[in-house]
Amino acid sequence: MKKILCALLVALSAITHANSTPTLNIYNWSEYLPDDVLAQFQQETGIHVNYSTYDSNETLYAKLKANPEAGYDIVVPSTYFVDRMIREKMLIPLDKTKLVHFNNLNPALLNKNFDPYNNYSIPYLSSSTGIAYNDNYFTKGSITRWTDLWQQRFSGQLLILDDVREVFSMALLSLNDSPNSTDPQQIANAYATLVTLLPNVKLFNDEAVKAIYIDDDATVGMAWSGDIYLANHANSHIQFVYPQDGYIIALDSIAIPKNAPHLANAYAFINFVLRADIAARISQATGYMSPNAAAVALLPAAIRNNPIIYPDQATLKRGIFQTDAKDASALYEKYLERLKIRA
Amino acid sequence: MLRKLTFKNFSIGSIWLWLAIFALIPNLLVLLTSLVEQGDTELIRLQLTFAHYSNLLDSVYLRIFARSIFIALEVTFICLLLGYPFAFILARLRLSERMKSLLLLLVIIPFWTSSLIRTYAIVIILKAKGILNTCLLHLGLIDQPLQLLYTNTAAVIGLIYALLPFMILPLYANIEKLDSRLLDVARDLGANSWQILWKILLPLTLPGIIAGSTLVLLPAMSLFYISNILGGAKTMLIGNLIENQFLAARNWPMGSAVSVVLTLLMALMLLAYNKSRDNNVETDLL
Repeated sequence: MKKILCALLVALSAITHANSTPTLNIYNWSEYLPDDVLAQFQQETGIHVNYSTYDSNETLYAKLKANPEAGYDIVVPSTYFVDRMIREKMLIPLDKTKLVHFNNLNPALLNKNFDPYNNYSIPYLSSSTGIAYNDNYFTKGSITRWTDLWQQRFSGQLLILDDVREVFSMALLSLNDSPNSTDPQQIANAYATLVTLLPNVKLFNDEAVKAIYIDDDATVGMAWSGDIYLANHANSHIQFVYPQDGYIIALDSIAIPKNAPHLANAYAFINFVLRADIAARISQATGYMSPNAAAVALLPAAIRNNPIIYPDQATLKRGIFQTDAKDASALYEKYLERLKIRA
Repeated sequence: MLRKLTFKNFSIGSIWLWLAIFALIPNLLVLLTSLVEQGDTELIRLQLTFAHYSNLLDSVYLRIFARSIFIALEVTFICLLLGYPFAFILARLRLSERMKSLLLLLVIIPFWTSSLIRTYAIVIILKAKGILNTCLLHLGLIDQPLQLLYTNTAAVIGLIYALLPFMILPLYANIEKLDSRLLDVARDLGANSWQILWKILLPLTLPGIIAGSTLVLLPAMSLFYISNILGGAKTMLIGNLIENQFLAARNWPMGSAVSVVLTLLMALMLLAYNKSRDNNVETDLL
């Protein structure tokens, strides 16, 4: 209902502002752009922003599919949805000559396989999937890789993220396979190894991960870096590990959907958030890693040097971006279902 | 007279209509869905098949059924152990009718709150840093918090809590009607407490026991959110299987087939209940 109302409001204000004020329609993840940054953009540029939010890539994708003329100028999909949306010709190629602050971006996060040369997407914020543990229960430094989670000492204790691609990424990486595998044999092997992990699983969860670790209700398992960065502030015993055998980096990128009505204003917005001072404020307020190297340099040392939110370059190199599983998506779903039935 | 008759027809007719629209047709739809194939883009494809039922004979599904039934029996048994003395004491208390109905009301009051919220309340009690662990730690009974949440035990505790009133109420109704003179007679004739319980009380309250057990056993197999929230979404019971088939796997025919089997199980139990009541009537006549 809220979403419909938001959409109606966007549509309505788009009509009323059509001829008078310059307008920009942004569709972003919830809690992903601080209010004061948005206010500053409107003040500096005189562009009126209609801002609405979504909570999953699937919602964004479904909305653009259902109505390609929805009127959005800016969207922020994750890597594998950038991949899918490029393939399905839902995005506009970007004119990089118009992006004055493009060089602020960290080269380590550019030119990835989901969008070679960043022709369609500009990295906005990033988080990683790794291992969290509580050092009251497990010796510091004793967990370094995904394969460690199969050890018998974790019997009945692991929190596993209730997300099909995350679960299989972990299993594929532990077998030295690509987390983006579409090979049925590799996916079957990943399933087989997950079955052997089941005795160690305490729970599947994806909505209260932070609270569960803070309150010791799970003391080891999978986690998203942003959650653990915040959890670590509440309970300093919670540690985060970027696994040695590789891990998933989620990168959400700004893109311009096809049929965007306010192209010039969209470029103005991208240039605004690529500014070092603005990107720094966004990272600080949201607790997510900024792919903007110039912005990171401006951050307080306490945040910049926090290895949970800002790992070093060597660690970043191990990160792997998710690409769309295409036809294998259904296979992943099927195996997760079978896994849960066996649990 | 004629008007009375039309009114009677009208009220009976509307009840039938109500049952047809809200019970018969939905159940028939579930039955039909269970007999067609799963579609690729649509939810179902109109092609007759019995595959979903034969798939259910797979050992994986049989294990879910077996585990579900075992957990449900466990919950029912504990509910009976707790509920029987409760109902007995409540029914035998020498209190005014008003006082008794007040006490019964207290049993029902939790139903005024959504059971989902009550389940989350149990989370707060069972958490590692929850109320129970804090109390036990302060009393010095344990020196490390008990990891109760996200275990089968937690799911069983949640199910017992949610279903206990369904056991108490039929038992209370049954025990209250019991002629207390029968117990006095038994005692006068030299029966000890154990014999009274075993030979008089239990046989006479069997309909209540069966009614309560039926009301507990079936929901215990289908309350999927309790095992999700308290058991950590890990133990799959029949209810979770249905939810999973409908939502995650988007296999509506399979979910429907499981649901039909569950309905049949309930029908069998109701048959057994009716049978036991029939037997009871016969003993009454004797």
